Order: sequence, then C-alpha cells, then structure tokens
Amino acid sequence: MFGYVRPYTPELLVREYAQYKAVYCQLCRVLGQEYGPLARFALSYDCAFYALLALSVSGAQVEEQRRRCVCNPLKACTYLPSPGEEYKKAAALCVLLTYHKLRDDLDDSGFFRSLGSRLLLLNASPKAKKAKARYPFLARQAEQAMLAQRQAEDSQAGVDQCAEPTARLLEAVFSELAGCDGRQRPALERFGYFLGRWIYLMDAADDLQDDLREGSFNPFIARFGLTGKTSLTEEERAQAEAACNASLNATASQLVLALNLLDLDGFGPVVENIAAKGLPQIQKEILFLHVKDKPRRELKGL
Amino acid sequence: MTDPYKVLGVSRSANDDEIKDAYRKLAKKYHPDQYADSPLKELADEKMKEINEAYDTITAQRKGGQYGYNGAQNSVHYNNGSGFSDVRSLIMSGRIADAEQILNGVPGDRRNAEWYFLKGSVLYRRGWLEEAKDHFSTACQMEPGNGEYSAALNQAMSQRGGMYGGYNPNQSMNAGGCNTCDLCSGLLMADCCCECMGGDLIPCC
Repeated sequence: MFGYVRPYTPELLVREYAQYKAVYCQLCRVLGQEYGPLARFALSYDCAFYALLALSVSGAQVEEQRRRCVCNPLKACTYLPSPGEEYKKAAALCVLLTYHKLRDDLDDSGFFRSLGSRLLLLNASPKAKKAKARYPFLARQAEQAMLAQRQAEDSQAGVDQCAEPTARLLEAVFSELAGCDGRQRPALERFGYFLGRWIYLMDAADDLQDDLREGSFNPFIARFGLTGKTSLTEEERAQAEAACNASLNATASQLVLALNLLDLDGFGPVVENIAAKGLPQIQKEILFLHVKDKPRRELKGL
Repeated sequence: MTDPYKVLGVSRSANDDEIKDAYRKLAKKYHPDQYADSPLKELADEKMKEINEAYDTITAQRKGGQYGYNGAQNSVHYNNGSGFSDVRSLIMSGRIADAEQILNGVPGDRRNAEWYFLKGSVLYRRGWLEEAKDHFSTACQMEPGNGEYSAALNQAMSQRGGMYGGYNPNQSMNAGGCNTCDLCSGLLMADCCCECMGGDLIPCC
C-alpha cells in the first residue's frame, strides 16, 4: 500500500484528530515491540486505516494512555492500546506489504539501483517470516496479490484486470475483520474491494509521468493511447489526469455506497471522513495541484 | 425489536422535525435505488426496512404523518422483446458468474447493443467499472435511442463526474459555503430588490 488513505483533517473534530493520531502512534509502538525498532519505518497511513477500521468493527474498548514518544524522548504522545489483536494484525500487514514492495523493487530494477532495497530486505525478510508464522492468512493473501499483480502486468492487461489483485487483497483482509458477524461481511468485502481498487488506480495515476519517462508498465498508458510517448504536453497531461480522476470517482462512489451500510462503533466518523473526504482530497492534491512537483515550502499554504 | 430511536440515531426527546430529518438522511443513505446494481442490495433493503419500521413505530406512537422517498430507477428489468431474457433473469437474481458465462459464449456476430449493455451490467456488478463504461457506451452507439442503455451510461458518467464520491474539480469542496463572489452577487440582488420596492441599498448602482 502506498499512503494515500489519509483523513482530511480540516473537517475532523479536534477530538477525532487526536484519536486518529493516538491510533497511529499506538501502531508505531506495537510495530516496534513486535518486529524491532527498524520495522517502525514500515508504518503507513494505510495500515493505520486498517487498524482504525478493525477497532471500529470489533467495537474494542480502548483507553487513552499518555507516554513518552517512542522516537523522540522529549515528546509526549497519546496512545490507544487495545486488548484485542487489531494492532498486531495491522503491524503484521505493514511488515508483509513492505516486504513484498521491496521484493517487487528488486525484480524491477538492476543490481545497483536495487542495492538499497537489497540491504533493507536483509532486515525485512526475517520480520516477514515472523509475521507469516503469526498470521498465515494475511501472508497468503499478500503473496497471492503480488503474484496476480505480476501476471497481470506481464500480460499487459487492462485497467480493471490490473486493479483486481489489490482490490481482492483488501476484500479478503476486510472480510476477515467481520469474523463471525455475517451481517457486516458483504458490505466490508465490497468496501475493501473498491478501496483496494481506488488505491491501485491512484498509485497508477500518480506514477503515470514517471512510467512514461522510464518506459515502465502502467495500465493507463494503453488505456489513453499514449503508448510510445515518453513525455506529455501540458494539455495531454491535463487530459490524462482528468480521465484518471473520472476512473477514481467511479470507484469512490461505489466505495461510499458500501461504507453507508457498515455499522461502525467508536471511530466511525474518522473512517467516514477518510473515505468520503480524505480520498477526494488526495485526488485533488495529486491530479490537480500536483503537490509532488512543488517544493516543500510552497505546500505550506495548501 | 430494537429501540426505534436508536435505529434513527435520535434521542427520545427529539421533536418530530428532528426525527423526520434523521429519517430522511438515513433513507437517502440506504435508498435501494442507488444499490439497484450492487450485490449489497439485500443489506440495503434490510437497513431500509429497519429504518422504515423504526420511523413508523415512532410516528404511530406520536401519531405523525409518513414520508416516502422517490429516486431515479436504473437497473436491469425483464424485457419481453429481449433476445437475452435468460441472462436478464440471471443478473436480476444475482447470479453474475452464470450470466457472464452465457454472454461470453455468444459468437461475435450475434453481439448486438443489448449484449453490450448486459455485459456492461455484469462488469459493473463485479466492480470492473472501466470496461463496464466502455460496454455501455458501445451499446448506446449501436442503438442511440434506447432509454435503458442511455440511463446506464448516464449513471456511470455521473459517477465518474464525482457527484457521488471522489473529487470534482469544478465544484468547491465546501459545498453550501459562502465565498466572496456569493457575497457580492447577493448584495447586488438585494440592491435590485430594494430598488424595485422604491428604496436603494447601494446608492452608486
């Protein structure tokens, strides 16, 4: 996963924002406890979202704790520990997805370019093994998704086919959250499917320029008839991005339908904020404001 | 039965208007029409039934009126003149994989506008929204006057436009808010109204 699943903070209540941060910090802490301090670098917004959803679905009783920040001893952090497995599963997911991402980089680029990934893998491999032993279900899903992804890309498949593995991964992972709750399951599965699809499409849209330049595979290239081009004019780029945005909108509207039917305790408002406002905001930032092209200080005002 | 006030998410002390508002909001959220093409239809129906019952219970208790919600219908129906009535009934009963198998077995020269529409409907239900849209537009091109096909395409296009989720660049994020333009045009209109009534709000225009 890629860090696109974030809340739109201006519309969160201060209390909700504090809760979100506490979940994020708690996940960071659990990652360190379970997989060692280096594993904290695998922390992502997407996995924090998974933890948030897991806590909401299980209705776990969480209580705030104030402690020192694990990274900065001078800073105080609020944590939200849960007696259940939610954070541990989220941490395992972080580790597994990071491991597969590194493996993917390794296969995609040459020896010297992938040297960094190789070094990181030395650390990540044993951690992934540990996570796999604890949560074989999550590990199997992640492996299957990576395999299907590779096949889809090798066969130069269409947009829908390429988005399928990520969509199915989240569908399976969210479905597992329902546990014995048969009532929530169909909505959770559908929500996972479209969230996974959205994440994949967003990542593909985000990488479109780079992939064109480097000649890498991207399902949108064939879709928009850009095969063979290495760069786009301003106009072509705007057109391509508007088309990507349309695909993302179609996916987001299905996602909202599934979300409407979920019963979420506790963090419901935050989950809704992320799905209904956070995702559109990312579309806006990446496809229309082009935040990645701008220097950091210009972004302060956004 | 569960507490009807809890179902609607209102307190027992809420007045009739608040209850009506809460009900309308939920009815809009769960309304089956928007789930017509979704496998979640049953769950939505169930939720809709729940809030309907809750609302009816409360209004019966309070002897209030009733409110129904009407939305646009857009889905696959039975069609007598159809060459694919078996596929239509499979889609309607939610057997998407079977419907797709039959459709895929249709040879290329028999693939008419209806075939593209039904294939699009199958893809749409599976979540393959890109190819679904392509199939709907092919169906519309082959048979431009057909209301069923154009309704499906319109729905797909309005979802792509960001009306129901996602980001629409032509619309400000704070819908319903008031910006400087609104303020000025509001003042101008107020001025016009005042002038009609014989007064004047902004003397210079």
